[in-house]
Amino acid sequence: MTEVNIVNLIKNFSGMTRPAVDNISINIQNGELIALLGPSGCGKTTILKMITGLLTPDNGDILLDNQSILSVPTEKRNVVMVFQNYLLFPYMNVNENVGFSLKMKGDDPKVINKRVQEMLELVKLPDIGERRPKQLSGGQQQRVALARALIANPRLLLLDEPLSNLDAHLRDEMRELITSIQKKLGVTCMFVTHDQEEAVLLADKIALIFDGKLQNFAEPKEFYEKPINVSAAKFFGGVNFIELNKNTNYFDSSIGKIISNQKNVDELHSKCIATIRPENIKISRENIYQDNFFKGKIKSVIFSGTHTRYKIVINNLNLECSLQSLGIQNINKEDEVFVNLPKDKIWIMND
Amino acid sequence: MGGDKTKIILSITPPLLIIILLFYGGIFYGLVQSLGYQPAIGKYEINFDAYYNILFSERYAKLFWTGLALNLWVSFVSTFLAAVLALFAALAIRKTFFGKTVCNFIYSLNLPMPHLVVAVGIIFVFSQSGLLARMLAQLNIISSPGDFPVLVKDKYGVGIILAYIWKESAFFFIILMSVLQSLGENFEELAQSLGANRWQRFRYVILPLVMPSLFSASIIVFAFSFGAYEVPALLGVIYPQMLPVMAFEFFLNPDLNARSEGMALSIIIALIVMILVIIYFWLTQTRIRKD
Ligand SMILES: Nc1ncnc2c1ncn2[C@@H]1O[C@H](COP(=O)(O)OP(=O)(O)OP(=O)(O)O)[C@@H](O)[C@H]1O
Ligand SMILES: [Mg+2]
Repeated sequence: MTEVNIVNLIKNFSGMTRPAVDNISINIQNGELIALLGPSGCGKTTILKMITGLLTPDNGDILLDNQSILSVPTEKRNVVMVFQNYLLFPYMNVNENVGFSLKMKGDDPKVINKRVQEMLELVKLPDIGERRPKQLSGGQQQRVALARALIANPRLLLLDEPLSNLDAHLRDEMRELITSIQKKLGVTCMFVTHDQEEAVLLADKIALIFDGKLQNFAEPKEFYEKPINVSAAKFFGGVNFIELNKNTNYFDSSIGKIISNQKNVDELHSKCIATIRPENIKISRENIYQDNFFKGKIKSVIFSGTHTRYKIVINNLNLECSLQSLGIQNINKEDEVFVNLPKDKIWIMND
Repeated sequence: MGGDKTKIILSITPPLLIIILLFYGGIFYGLVQSLGYQPAIGKYEINFDAYYNILFSERYAKLFWTGLALNLWVSFVSTFLAAVLALFAALAIRKTFFGKTVCNFIYSLNLPMPHLVVAVGIIFVFSQSGLLARMLAQLNIISSPGDFPVLVKDKYGVGIILAYIWKESAFFFIILMSVLQSLGENFEELAQSLGANRWQRFRYVILPLVMPSLFSASIIVFAFSFGAYEVPALLGVIYPQMLPVMAFEFFLNPDLNARSEGMALSIIIALIVMILVIIYFWLTQTRIRKD
C-alpha cells in the first residue's frame, strides 16, 4: 500500500553514448498496477534495479509515500523484485523458498509455516510445498516466485517480464492470477514488458520508454487513440500516417484538406502528422460523407475472419482500413471508393 | 546401426586393453607383491604377513598409526583451509576488475607449478633460516632468526600444510571463479531484495550454491594430498612420518623383503582414500534421495 514517486531519474553506464535511463519521472498511485513498456535495451530492468537499490541512480530521487529511499539499503527497502527467470533457490523446497524473506527477518518457524501455506493457497498451489523447484513446471515456478515475493507484504512489487517465459495458454492464466492477486492484496506493482498487448491487458497505466526516455505515461486507451508521436503510435500498431501543414482552421496534406476538432491544436507545430487507426477509417462506393473524404483505390483485400483489411491508395498515400466482415459491402480489389477519415477519430501530433 | 557399434567396439578394444593391462595390471602386480608373492627372491607363497607387520608389529605399527594420524591431519587441515582461503579470495575479488586480474594471474601461475618447487619455496620463505625469519629479525620483531617458530620440518606438518594450501587453493580458486561466474549475481540480488543482509546472503545463498562443486573439488584435493610423496619428503620430519614417504622408503630399502611391506602400505593408502570417496558418494546420494 504505497504511493511511488520517481523523479528525474538518470543512470549512465560507461561504454554507452546515451544515458541508459534518461530523466524519467513517474507517479504511481497507491495500489496501481503499472507497466514499463519498451523495446529491448530501453532501460526497463535498470529502472527496476534502481528502485530496489541494486543500482544507484546518478541523479534524481525515488520516493515511497513521499520519503526518499535512496539512502535505504536494498535489504531494508521491502521492495521485492521477481526476476524474469524466477530464480527459485534450487537447494530449497517450495516451502523454504516461499518462507525465505520471513526467515531472513528471524520470524518464528510456526508463523512462517502458516504464512507460507496462506501464500501457496493464494497462488493456487496448496499441495506442492515439499517439492523441489526442479520438479515444477514453468508456470508453477512463476507462481512460487510470486508467493515468495508477496509473503513479506512488500511496499512495492516489481515484476521483470513476468510472462515472457510462459507458453501462450499459461500466459493468459498467469495474467489473470497476477491481476486478481494484485487487486486483492492492493499491493502497488510495477511490471516490465516489451509486449504492448500484455501491457494493455494488465496495466492500469503504461509508461512507454524508448532509448531511456519516457515517451508517455498514461492509460492504455490513450496509446491507441492519442499517441504522443509516430514511434509511440507505431509501437501500438499504428500504420496510417499523413504529413500535414497547419493552417488557421484546417490542415493541408498531399491528399487535400483535412479538418480536425482536436482541442490542443495550438500546441501543434506548423509541420505535424496525423494518424488514424485502421478500424476508424470508413469506405464506401458512394459519397455519403460530409468532410475529410477522399477518392481512393483499393489495392488489396485481406479477409481475416471477423475483420477484413483493405489497403487503399489515395494520390500515392497508402492507408489501411479494417472493417467488420459482417454486413460488409461488396468492395473488391481495384475498385474506386470514397475514403472518410472522421474528424473526431483523426489524431494529430508533433514529431 | 549394429555394424557401426561393432566397428566402434572393435576399434577401441586394443587401446582399451592396453590401458586396462597397464593400469590394473600394475595394481594387480602390486597387490600380489603385497601378499608376499615375489618369485625374484624365491617367494611363491601367499600370505598377509606384510599387512600384519605394518598394522600390528612392534617394528612398524607405531610408525604406521602416527603416520596415518599425521596424514589425516595434514590432508583435512590443508584441504579445508585451502578451500576456505580460495572461497574468500574468490568472493572478495570477483567484482573488482583489478583484483580479478591480479588473483587470476597469481593463481594461474601457481597451478602448473610442480609441488616440488612449491616445497622449496616454502623452505625458502618459512624455515628458520628463511626470508620471513630473517626479515622479522631485521625488523627486531624477533631477536634472532632462531626465535622464529619451527614451521618447516616440524612434527605437526605445518610446512607441508602451508605448501598444500598455497598450491591447492589455486585449484579451488579457479573452480570457484568459474562456478561463481556461471551463477551470476542474480540469486544474491534476489535474496537481497527479499531482505537478506550480507552475512545471510553468504550463508543462505552463496554457500549452498557453491557447496556441491567445493565438496567435489575437496575430495580430489584430499585424495591427492593423502597419497602424494614429494612435499612431505622435503618438508616432513623422520617421525612422525607421512605414509607415502614411509612407503617410498620401503622401496628404497635394499632388502627386497621390504618390498611386500611397501606394497602393502601403498595398497592401504589407496584403500583409505577409496573408502573416503565411497563415504562421500554415499553421503551425497542419501542427500539427493532425501531431496
Ligand atoms: N551493468 C551494466 N553495465 C553497462 N551497461 C549496462 C549495464 N546494465 C545495462 N546496461 C545497458 O543499459 C541499457 C539498458 O539495459 P536494461 O537491462 O535496463 O534494458 P531492458 O529494457 O531491461 O532490456 P531487455 O528488454 O532486453 O531486458 C542497455 O543498453 C544495456 O546494454
Ligand atoms: Mg530487462
